[in-house]
Amino acid sequence: MAVRTPRTRRPVPVHRRVWARLTRSPAFRTLGPFVPVVALWWILAESGLFPPAFFVGPDVVAAEFVEMVRKGVLPGYLSDSLERLVYGVGFGLLIGLPMGFLTAMSLRVRRALWPILLFFQAIADIAWLPIVIVWFGFSLTAVTFVIVYTIMFPLMLSVVSGVEQVPRELVRAARSLGAGRTRVFFEVVVPGALPSIATGIRTGLGYGWRALVAAEIIVGTSGIGFMMFDARRVGDVSQVFLGMIVLGVLWYMLDALILAPFEKATVERWGMVRSLEEGDR
Amino acid sequence: MTALVIEGLEKVYTDAYSGEEVVAIGDVSFTVEQGEFVSVLGPSGCGKTTVLNAVAGFVDPTGGEVRVDGHEVRGPGPDRGVVFQSHALFPWKTVLGNVTFGLRVQGIRRREREERGREFLELVGLDGFERRYPHELSGGMQQRLGVARVLTNEPAVMLMDEPFASIDAQTRRRLQEDLTRIFEKRRPTVFFVTHDIDEAVFLSDRIVVLSHRPSSVQEIVPVDLPRPRTWRAAVDAPAFRDTVARINDLLRVDEDPEAGEPEPAGGGAGA
Repeated sequence: MAVRTPRTRRPVPVHRRVWARLTRSPAFRTLGPFVPVVALWWILAESGLFPPAFFVGPDVVAAEFVEMVRKGVLPGYLSDSLERLVYGVGFGLLIGLPMGFLTAMSLRVRRALWPILLFFQAIADIAWLPIVIVWFGFSLTAVTFVIVYTIMFPLMLSVVSGVEQVPRELVRAARSLGAGRTRVFFEVVVPGALPSIATGIRTGLGYGWRALVAAEIIVGTSGIGFMMFDARRVGDVSQVFLGMIVLGVLWYMLDALILAPFEKATVERWGMVRSLEEGDR
Repeated sequence: MTALVIEGLEKVYTDAYSGEEVVAIGDVSFTVEQGEFVSVLGPSGCGKTTVLNAVAGFVDPTGGEVRVDGHEVRGPGPDRGVVFQSHALFPWKTVLGNVTFGLRVQGIRRREREERGREFLELVGLDGFERRYPHELSGGMQQRLGVARVLTNEPAVMLMDEPFASIDAQTRRRLQEDLTRIFEKRRPTVFFVTHDIDEAVFLSDRIVVLSHRPSSVQEIVPVDLPRPRTWRAAVDAPAFRDTVARINDLLRVDEDPEAGEPEPAGGGAGA
């Protein structure tokens, strides 16, 4: 490796400086990686390798997007999907987090609950749909049920493993500073388990998101999943493509606007985990 | 007045796999006076840390008893603050949040506890770092914070479990001098566990030398070094060298012929 000293360093060319500034901007870092993907997609579509009825280019999808927004269909479906997700995730967290901590903290609860957990984890979320539809009909409750079900297991497992990862000496330190069991729980065990819980929420949300789309396809009367399936029925490939892109963008936004900032403000700030983008330094 | 009494302490573990009984501590008795600095030294795996854990209330002894200020120890409590080898700082709390944790548990108002916290941060040389998080500090600074966190709580006895063992040699010397300075200034009661003979002699008023497992007190060696102490003065003092040599002999005489098994991580029998 060459050793650089200020004397021998030559001025950096202008184009390189512009490039450096560009690659550091948040917009470029977000959208940049997609440029080659979209380009490849466009070339494939234009090449005529596939008939347009099966494979449409980004220009067609963009036009479809404008059209669907103008007609108000896409915003309506989008808010339906998001509402279901919020309900499902909300109840999932509300049930999954306390259950997880209960399982983690009490050996008796864990012994009793663990086999049941493993049993129900094996029944795939979608496998519940037939009976859920019988019980709740084609309703918000049915979809919420499936999402809650999907989120709960990864969440509970992550809470249990998070609690197990809290160093014993931290609990001991708190106890020998006078903290009682309740305070140890809220001020040591909960924050100590947070890195694992954050991962669990991320995984759970991802599963919940997929379950939502699947449920909409089967139960659906509206929503992004329904839109895609309905479009397939009438043979409108551009809407299917649009739906897929909307799903990806939404997940990306969910991560960028809620999950990542939460982790940045907590576990990353405390030095408990390293940011993914930071890499090894 | 006697701050800490350990009487006929015994700890027998039952191996979880073989069901065999292991005697970690055979019979240990000694006392620590108020304002005294007492170290426990012994060959690796002799159960030094187990003695400390019994005093801290982290493990229940199978025999004998531990009394702090006349009260028998039952579980951990704020009268026995512990400084750990791993620092055991709360990563989610700032330096100030860590140092005032004990006061907050006691229900002391924010202004007063922050004032007292700052006082002890200044004592250990961490003033100006109040808003930092532990991971932003060096290893030496982290352990200063560990000491300040315990001292702020004003325990009857401060328990230190090989606190400088994982710190580089240069920094360790400075921390030892700083600990001595703090001790001489505030006179807390200190119970210090180490396997480093020089460290024990430099810091302590008396040294409890333990024997091999099942451990018992082999000898209690007084350290006749004037205070205030510095490393520069200590290494030249005949009393320092004589005491080190004497303890060296004590530990060597007792050396187990079949010893040579590697020391478990962290030293001592652990919990």
